[in-house]
Amino acid sequence: MIRQSLRIGLAAALPIVFAAGLPLGKASAEDLKHYDSSKPSFWAHPPADWFLGDETEAQKGLAPPAGPATPTPLDELQADLKKIKLPPGFKIEVYASNIPQARQMAWGANGTLFVGSFQATNVYAVTDQGGQRTVKTIIKGLNMPTGVAFRDGALYVIDINKLLRYDNAEANLDKMPAPVVAYDDMPPYVAHGWKYIVTDKNGWMYLPFGPPFNIGIPPTSVSQIRHVDPKTGLAEIVALGVRNSVGGDIDPRSGDYWFTENARDWLSDDTPSDKLNHITRLGEHFGYPYCHEGDIPDPKFAMGHKCSEFTPPVVKLGAHVAPLGMKFYTGNQFPKQYKDNIFIAEHGSWNRHKYQGGRIERVVVDPDGKNPHQEVFASGWITGERDYFGRPVDILQAPDGSLLVSDDWAGAIYRISYKK
Amino acid sequence: MMLRIVTLAAILSLPVVPCLAAADIAAGQEKAKPCLACHGENGVSSMPGIPSLAGQQDQFIQWQLVFFRNGRRPNPMMAPLIADITDQDIRDLGAYFHSLPYSTAASDVSPNPELAAKGKLVAQQHRCASCHKDDFRGERAAAAIADQREDYLVKALTDYRSTARPSTGVAAMTEAAAGLTDDDIVAVSHYLATLPPPKK
Repeated sequence: MIRQSLRIGLAAALPIVFAAGLPLGKASAEDLKHYDSSKPSFWAHPPADWFLGDETEAQKGLAPPAGPATPTPLDELQADLKKIKLPPGFKIEVYASNIPQARQMAWGANGTLFVGSFQATNVYAVTDQGGQRTVKTIIKGLNMPTGVAFRDGALYVIDINKLLRYDNAEANLDKMPAPVVAYDDMPPYVAHGWKYIVTDKNGWMYLPFGPPFNIGIPPTSVSQIRHVDPKTGLAEIVALGVRNSVGGDIDPRSGDYWFTENARDWLSDDTPSDKLNHITRLGEHFGYPYCHEGDIPDPKFAMGHKCSEFTPPVVKLGAHVAPLGMKFYTGNQFPKQYKDNIFIAEHGSWNRHKYQGGRIERVVVDPDGKNPHQEVFASGWITGERDYFGRPVDILQAPDGSLLVSDDWAGAIYRISYKK
Repeated sequence: MMLRIVTLAAILSLPVVPCLAAADIAAGQEKAKPCLACHGENGVSSMPGIPSLAGQQDQFIQWQLVFFRNGRRPNPMMAPLIADITDQDIRDLGAYFHSLPYSTAASDVSPNPELAAKGKLVAQQHRCASCHKDDFRGERAAAAIADQREDYLVKALTDYRSTARPSTGVAAMTEAAAGLTDDDIVAVSHYLATLPPPKK
């Protein structure tokens, strides 16, 4: 599908009326809350149900936690990391600190580590001179610049509804050039609008388009993953029925795109499970909002659909674990059995009564999705029932085969390495 | 008593740990001196448009100082005062103002039961208690809003609605305030400003 037709899709979004956030039962039509996606106000201020839940007593007080206002100081971080559990032979240390709300990471060709952020509006560059690392804020004032990528000398950043390109970035860290808008056929809302970028070998980028609410019938221009060519602005839809995906990677064995997906909220503490998905066919449908985790028809929005109509996840990662950034491991530093394994950063719960996730998961799976096996690789960031000292967000392999992990709670990047 | 012990412990630990990361109430008290001219002795404001900070949530204060410092919450009075403050200053100030006793005397308006009843309804419809809790004294980054100055509450909600100031908790306040009318803001501010003290 070309850019033109997608744009028409957005402009002509039918006045879809959907209901959200009511408990199960025979709600009459007038009980349902209605939203109208033909109104500009819908795109500017989507319904607030996604963070407020369904108004039940059990859900009260489960508001999104904001995290510390300032990054965790280095000495405190180092003490915290002593509590992280890893398999024998692995070690975790602070790679860089004082990076407010660090999100996706990308390597520049000359070794600069670019780091996006959540609400801090910043993009950072971490440079390394003989082991001495410097963190510099190179861009300020962007709207949810979570996703970053590097290609042909240019830094790409998502500014909520624009994919921006900063040419010759590594030579201009002190004064970044004015950005070029590479692609902007995206909705402006913040809720599930922040993005992750995965670039394929031809330079096309996989970009997620989350719906602006927890559950509802999404406008047809969202709840999908697009494959975008930043050079020409051409785009195609590669996956439908996707809720909030903020992570993915290309399998080095097959070239296929795999992605993590955050399942709907407010169903219960233990269902539905978040997902690891694998796209095998262009445009396949992963179930949202009709079916969750491959086998739970939505109590309201299934509307006669059966789960068998949709692609199930390869792995159910667990409820409210919030899988975000992921990478296939291609390095030589870790033992042989880790080759081509998937490492997933789980951000952890915000609206589960007892938090889970907040760890790094290891998934071993065949290229065709068969024989999946998952286990916890690194854990210990959750403290008590409902608190963290850190929340893993993204994973990036370093040139020496160690893994970097970003953390938007502590505002830091860790390095996990292996030594026999 | 509790407070005094914490303060004493903080002072004692100062020379032992050279790079003290934990928040320090005593240091915060010293650093807060310039703040009190507007925010009031004991952190209870009697100045129109200026919020009381006594007993405010530590994390909320810290976030606002971060927003003032990086210019995302532009304010000509705050800007010169906080331009050079460090992360440690921010933690100390948050701890200090949170340690001050919460005051129900901050609001000097006389209650209008009819307006308060309307405001209560607005608070229920927009589900303020989901984040600010049933006593409206907040939690973590969600502000204490009970018994705050009425004129300040009106200003804060108006600023959130027009996106003149950023929200924590993703965009919770931006979204919550987007649907408020001017009348809603007046009513809910009056309701919150005139809440009776919580029953113990």
